[in-house]
Amino acid sequence: MIVAGIDMGVQNIKIVILHDREVIAKSIIPSGFEPRRAAEKAFEEALKEAKLSLKEIQHVTATGTGVEMAPYADSTISMIAADAKAGVFLYPSARTIIDVGAEESRVVVCDEKGTVLEFAINERCAAGSGAFLEAMARALEVRLEEMGALSLEAKGTVSINATCVIFGETDVVSLIHKREPKHEIARAIYDALADRITSIAHRVSIRPEVILVGGVAKDLGFTAALKRKLETEIFVPENPEYAGALGAALHAMNKAGGR
Amino acid sequence: MGILAILIWVRDRTKRVTCLRIFIQAASVPLIFLGLIVGPFGLPQYPQVGNAPRDIVIGTEIFGRPFPDGLSVPVLACWYPSGRTVTCPVWQMQAYLYPFWETGVGFGWGIIYTTTGLERLAIVFGLVILMALLLGRAFCGWICPFGFYMDLLSYIRRAFRRPYRKLPDKVNVALRQLRYVIIAVFMILSVILGSQAIFGVQLVSGTEKGGYLYSYASAPYCQVCPMRPLCVLCEVAIGAMNSTFVFSHTKGLFYEAGYYITSINMAVLVFATISALAYRRLWCRICPLGALTGLFSRFSPFKKASFLRLEKDKEKCTKCGICKRVCPPQIREVYEKEGGDVTTSACILCLRCIEMCPYEDCLKVTLAGKTMFKSRNWLESS
Amino acid sequence: MMMEKKYGVEVSQKEAEEIKSTIRTAYTRLIAEYIERMKKGWPNRPKVMDYFYEIADFKTREKELIEAKKEGKKVIGYTCMLAPIELILAADAIPVRVSSGWYDPAKIGNRVVPVEVCPVVRSTIGVALVGLSPFLELSDVLITPLTCDGMTKLSEIVGDYKPVWTICPPRLKSMDQAQAFWREQLIKLKEEIERFTGVKITANRLKSAIKLTHRATRTFRRLQNLRKGRPVIMGRDAMLVNQTAMWDDLERWSMKAEELCMELERRAKENVWACSPNAPRVMITGTPIIWPDNWKLPNLIEEAKPQGVIVADELCSGDRFLYDPVGVDEGTMDDLLDAIAERYLLPSTCPCFTSEKGNEDRVNWLVNRVKEWNVGGVIYYVYRGCMLYAMEYMRIKKALDQLNVPVYYLDTDYTREDVGQIKTRVEAFLEMLEARVEI
Repeated sequence: MIVAGIDMGVQNIKIVILHDREVIAKSIIPSGFEPRRAAEKAFEEALKEAKLSLKEIQHVTATGTGVEMAPYADSTISMIAADAKAGVFLYPSARTIIDVGAEESRVVVCDEKGTVLEFAINERCAAGSGAFLEAMARALEVRLEEMGALSLEAKGTVSINATCVIFGETDVVSLIHKREPKHEIARAIYDALADRITSIAHRVSIRPEVILVGGVAKDLGFTAALKRKLETEIFVPENPEYAGALGAALHAMNKAGGR
Repeated sequence: MGILAILIWVRDRTKRVTCLRIFIQAASVPLIFLGLIVGPFGLPQYPQVGNAPRDIVIGTEIFGRPFPDGLSVPVLACWYPSGRTVTCPVWQMQAYLYPFWETGVGFGWGIIYTTTGLERLAIVFGLVILMALLLGRAFCGWICPFGFYMDLLSYIRRAFRRPYRKLPDKVNVALRQLRYVIIAVFMILSVILGSQAIFGVQLVSGTEKGGYLYSYASAPYCQVCPMRPLCVLCEVAIGAMNSTFVFSHTKGLFYEAGYYITSINMAVLVFATISALAYRRLWCRICPLGALTGLFSRFSPFKKASFLRLEKDKEKCTKCGICKRVCPPQIREVYEKEGGDVTTSACILCLRCIEMCPYEDCLKVTLAGKTMFKSRNWLESS
Repeated sequence: MMMEKKYGVEVSQKEAEEIKSTIRTAYTRLIAEYIERMKKGWPNRPKVMDYFYEIADFKTREKELIEAKKEGKKVIGYTCMLAPIELILAADAIPVRVSSGWYDPAKIGNRVVPVEVCPVVRSTIGVALVGLSPFLELSDVLITPLTCDGMTKLSEIVGDYKPVWTICPPRLKSMDQAQAFWREQLIKLKEEIERFTGVKITANRLKSAIKLTHRATRTFRRLQNLRKGRPVIMGRDAMLVNQTAMWDDLERWSMKAEELCMELERRAKENVWACSPNAPRVMITGTPIIWPDNWKLPNLIEEAKPQGVIVADELCSGDRFLYDPVGVDEGTMDDLLDAIAERYLLPSTCPCFTSEKGNEDRVNWLVNRVKEWNVGGVIYYVYRGCMLYAMEYMRIKKALDQLNVPVYYLDTDYTREDVGQIKTRVEAFLEMLEARVEI
């Protein structure tokens, strides 16, 4: 059984192709101004990697914020359900999935089959997502890719306000002027984001095991901060940014009739 | 037949059960005083006491034991008037202690007690307990003629469009405690005045047989009960009792009294009547017989044994307060308790709260677990 | 009004006229669009629904009120359902609810109060400022129960534009003194109404008014009971029928709603469903959802994939409005006033009330609803700025968790910009409910 999942993310389009529960191809392309075109391109790349043609894909499920623009979609599911399915697939003992994406963050609680029991989404504000980190990295004048490692050296001597990106930025600038060391400020930034995510997580009854997915999960600085704030072990799978597409592909597998 | 007629004709769900209840109360009056209707008539209106020739007493034999005064029903079905079919247990409790502790001649027309007072007392208690367990204070709400009298007074008040009054809560609660005190006091008084039964001699002078306090000592409570003058005066009015005898009196220590009526009786009746015009079912809140019957709805072990219960579904109750407002004896427990068993000893089971509760299945009355009547969305029928 | 405005903000006549005409046109279009969507969502609806759609665009009733005023009748508006409409009806006046359900006037309201304030209040202020609401304009006086902070200050602000009669429901409603206080206020209110309308409110008039509201309550509950089983009516339409009672002529409303109920009962017998019987059954609880703009959420629920159906709600603008009847005992004036006072105060589930057990009236009502209406999931709907509903969320969630019913906290505002985000959340929620049913 060959199926595919498309995650129409705000920043990036992700594709995953599954062959009988094994990932045989994946691709990621920035959405840009024309997400539909970008998605088609991403699909092409994934098919090339899998050495398949579109006809051989039995079912395609789309998810993500821009799901209405997904090409080739036979069905759709919400990111919530996709996260849950991907979570238990990657870690059978996963029951809470935290997905921190570019502009939205989600916490999903599910059962062993990946059925959603509860969920919470961050309130209509980018302060609880990857966009916060981007803005803060700019203010700190470091590259986002380097900020994580930088923060790991710090002890946690300063903190910043996390309720709003604008206020956060002002805080960072004033800390810089006070000559606080950059690694401390970096850690404070991650702590602020982790605080935000934790407060969303407490709206549901989180239960072990907790796994973290989404683009931001690759950032070591963030995973360290989240482990600190949630006070629990957190597992991060390989290629966490593909969780949504993987979940969609698993749903496609169900729809196509396989298990 | 009347019952069926009411159930068919009265469509307004907020009135049906009350109509039924008033009808049954009204029907109980002739049933209790059946002798006045059935006869025999034309007998000399002798100044007789005790079982008059027109008494049609039922229950003269209980389990093979002779019980000449008749079935004790826990309502104020006074022993004194003629033509009655049942007896007031309060009188029986007092009289069987003294002067009828031993076997022998009783008051009245050839009454001879062939069983001991102890045995007769046991039967009285047994009957009252049995009836209280089965139907609780439903007797008060559906049969007692004094209750009917108070309901009639309420209707008179309503005919003049006057509103009823409410006792302040603290007073109401105090009255409920008071009734236990009343019955206790009179029982003790009965023992003191009838001490011959226990101590072999009358402690209070004048109360021995032939003494001028003899007839009063036989039943101290009956000298203050308002039911007695009500019955007696009604019977005098219809010519069933001889007024000369009723009103001939001895000037006692501190009251004017005859065998059938004392001035205290009259005072209490007047008080009960006037207060019933303002406060609904006021007497019922302090009635000592009600206290006795209600014991089975009050104390935990007995509560579990009683058959008739009032129950409430916690989730369906919206706390709208209608049950508290329409309750004649102003009981708050049905409203205030969250759910489950809400039977109280002050409740006369008039079922007005259930009738007026507008939420389906919220309140219900059950007999031995089986639902007899439950609250309905009474808007449906109109 | 020669008195100086306490809240001082003036809008020039010219500006007011401009705003009014733009918004009025926009709303005529919006109402028509929403009604179209409701019609599309329920193609086999009964014919009598057309009556309710007509009342929903306010114009018919506006004309009737103008006519009535010409004949000398008084119109008494109210901002909260704790206002006793029986007293208004008994004085031969016309009751009409004036809470604003329009989004755009909220921006105008921002000129008077900060943007953090409850949007219903801001919108009502905006509407008063510009003279936008026909019902508010036609009201001769307003009854403003001081239930929450927003309502309290709204009363003062709106008092700059219309005479207001305030009544204050005591928060500890179970205390005897509180009930006596409430009753005293209603007696004073009754006297004010009598003075204003020139009609003496006798016991007989009150009884007729109560008879009218009894009939309305009976039909209202009949309609809600029909939503217990499989869906014979779409939730959006039921909510609209419920709400039209707040400004329509009660007697006529009852008649039409009875017609609707009879038709729905027939359909229930013949298994004619409004949507799939397997659609996830949703209940909404929280801040009032007032027509038309606030149909944002009901539209999203019933047009989503998977489609949900709203089977019940705990909203003062919905299933709570005419739920409790006035329990008349003896029919004397004292008794009638007691009955009316108690009916409005005691069974209220509004979170402005509190008690030792923590507003258990609301919890019990919700739990009962969830069980009897077979609710699959609850959406807890709160406007940003509402302290009371927001704070009671945990209490309700805990109680409903015990029934294994998912509760989703949805906060929103008087804005159309968050439609996309609410859509994601609603669809995820409905998807979750559907999956639960399949287990």
